[in-house]
Amino acid sequence: MLRIGQLLTGDCQRLTRRELIRAGALSAVGVSLADALRAQARSPEAAPAKSVILLWLWGGPSHLDTFDLKPNAPVQYRGPYSPIPTTVPGVEICELLPQLSKRAHTYSLLRSLRGTSNDHGIAGTIGLTGSSNGAASLSGQVLPGAVEPTHGSIVSKILGASTGMPRFMTLGGHLHQGKRAITGEGGAALGPMHDPFRLDYHPDTGLELPHLTLADGLTPSGIDARGKLQLRLDQLARGVDRSPNMARLDEYYQQAFSLLTDPAARNVFDLDREPEPLRRRYGKYRFGQCCLLARRLVEAGAKFVQVNWSSHVEPVEDSGDGGWDMHDRYFQQYQDRHAWMLDRALSALLDDLRERGLLSETVVVAVGEFGRTPKINNKAGRDHWEHVYSGLVAGGGLQAGKVIGASDRLGEYPATAAFTSADLFATVLGQLGITTTSLTTNNLLPQGNRIEDLIG
Amino acid sequence: MMLRAGIIGMTIATALSAAPPSVRQITNDGLLKQRPNWSPDGQHVVFARHRGSTIFLFVRNIVTGNEERLTMPETPEFDAVFAPDGKSLLFTFDKVSPGQGDMEVHRITWMERTPTPMAISRKGLSHEESPAWSPTGKRFAFSSTYQGNQEIYAADIDGEEWMRLTDDVATDAHPAWSPDGKTIAFATSRWGNFEIALMDPDGGNLRRFTSSFGLDDYPCWSPDGKLLAWVSNRDGNLEIYVQDTAGSQPPRNVTENAAIDNFPAWTPDGRLSLISDRGDGFELYVTERPFSP
Repeated sequence: MLRIGQLLTGDCQRLTRRELIRAGALSAVGVSLADALRAQARSPEAAPAKSVILLWLWGGPSHLDTFDLKPNAPVQYRGPYSPIPTTVPGVEICELLPQLSKRAHTYSLLRSLRGTSNDHGIAGTIGLTGSSNGAASLSGQVLPGAVEPTHGSIVSKILGASTGMPRFMTLGGHLHQGKRAITGEGGAALGPMHDPFRLDYHPDTGLELPHLTLADGLTPSGIDARGKLQLRLDQLARGVDRSPNMARLDEYYQQAFSLLTDPAARNVFDLDREPEPLRRRYGKYRFGQCCLLARRLVEAGAKFVQVNWSSHVEPVEDSGDGGWDMHDRYFQQYQDRHAWMLDRALSALLDDLRERGLLSETVVVAVGEFGRTPKINNKAGRDHWEHVYSGLVAGGGLQAGKVIGASDRLGEYPATAAFTSADLFATVLGQLGITTTSLTTNNLLPQGNRIEDLIG
Repeated sequence: MMLRAGIIGMTIATALSAAPPSVRQITNDGLLKQRPNWSPDGQHVVFARHRGSTIFLFVRNIVTGNEERLTMPETPEFDAVFAPDGKSLLFTFDKVSPGQGDMEVHRITWMERTPTPMAISRKGLSHEESPAWSPTGKRFAFSSTYQGNQEIYAADIDGEEWMRLTDDVATDAHPAWSPDGKTIAFATSRWGNFEIALMDPDGGNLRRFTSSFGLDDYPCWSPDGKLLAWVSNRDGNLEIYVQDTAGSQPPRNVTENAAIDNFPAWTPDGRLSLISDRGDGFELYVTERPFSP
């Protein structure tokens, strides 16, 4: 059964599913998903990849406990886990990632990623845009410069405006550090039509459209389920020319209604259509099922799907929603939850894409905003560490079975040439055919340099 | 069927050399659960359940199948263990100091459900967790980070007179007090990855119990003290292993399942329970028969 969640407004009032579907039936929807699925993407012909799935490991996983273990380091550094061999001779990863160890020949590891900030807000903005422009720190300081569009928005802009199925979709809510939402998740100067179309999935409640925010003063508080919605929408439509925000509202509404009223779209979102064994392979928890949904969205034509591990950096024990920012009890939580959740979902995603012939044309990236302190702190945890960290990249014509870059003996600093997140995403977007030329043609500032070893 | 019904007069047991024992599913909601613990009469089991962004303790009546929250705070709570007399429980309570976790061991009475702090932070946001009763109910062991590294401590039941039992730069965790009161098992990374170690209740006579390539964690004693169960990934997957505490036989994988099998806990009659996602999500399972060495 497909369960569509609620349409959340700016003041958290809700439209029910019934209201949405009724509204969708009444509204002018535009191009249907079926039309969109038939449409040819306008990506460059020679591009090896057609889509990207970014698994955004918000909060910052420890590189020493995932993909860059240091078994010969002092116990205060190495942590309580051993490395295990993988399918690539000489390459080892953490013993808590056994499924990924069996698939090392399908992905490459970057072990010398390097950032410039240990603040989630700033590092997150850098990770998602390639630039610190406009980033907001934990203290609220906003760095100078206009926020750059995020990678998915660039893909949306250059590979074509959305028609039916949004090009750029994010599974998960807005990213937060504490109670502060970070910047750099959207289209910025490209305009709100290139913001991500947000979805989420929770095992308890099914599919949700978590953050469909209306413009100021246009919250549908007076809308009930008795037929006033069309009138209200007409009123909203008349406001399009008066408010810049209305363009966003209209875009979101059209997308939402299109998705909700188009049977083909509903099928895309209906995870119950997947065989039960496959759903179990992904894991029947939020991140696992979101990875499965990401595959379905890519299959249906989405060009960039970002799966947020969590909305908050903090784990549940620190008032968050399960993020990787485990300053305390890192090993307890990583072993009990994070490790196998990542191992299972990412392994299933790689297998599923490969079995469907999609891995060769889909870039999969799993990375956070930074790593964690190599030296274990006094709370059995690890703190922020931007000087070196790891990421996983697979598919889309990129090299597989390689380890690119290395950290030093203690995992503190790069021991080889370092790469930035901008380099990583310059490489990823390059696989989609988005080049420096296409960026500058669209008045976008190229960020980073392609990682040649990853391209092969 | 009452779990206890099959206990009395029981003659059939699962031998350690036998095939993986059949198990019975207890819960049926699919949500992640952690660290079950059984009441001394076998009538109730307490466990932590994750739902969305919450971790709450639930008590399930095995006879009726009814469940209830152990406490009512909206902050995380986990790792509950019944006292030997069944009249109270120790559990880890997360104070969640503004925006950050702060674990303490609290005690709650079974009838009144009144929580009382037992082992609280002595310095900053230290974490006191993973409580384990002594068999007399007069002391308890737990882990704490208040002296700068996660170590095992023991305290009187009033929470005073902490005694540090371990002192190593590695991580020590998850103490389990033997039924005869003479030994505490715990997990330690001092030899590499997590292994099970044994020590006397004063921290002396430390000896290594497991030695495997994989991690070994969450030790728990069978009610008669003759068996030790723990979780290990030595075969590449999280499984439950059981071995006689004398070490006369090699450890046996008693789950042998491709699923995640974790958090072993003995029932009072010597059955083994665990959390596994072998079905549709994570559920509590218990073996149909008790174990024998």
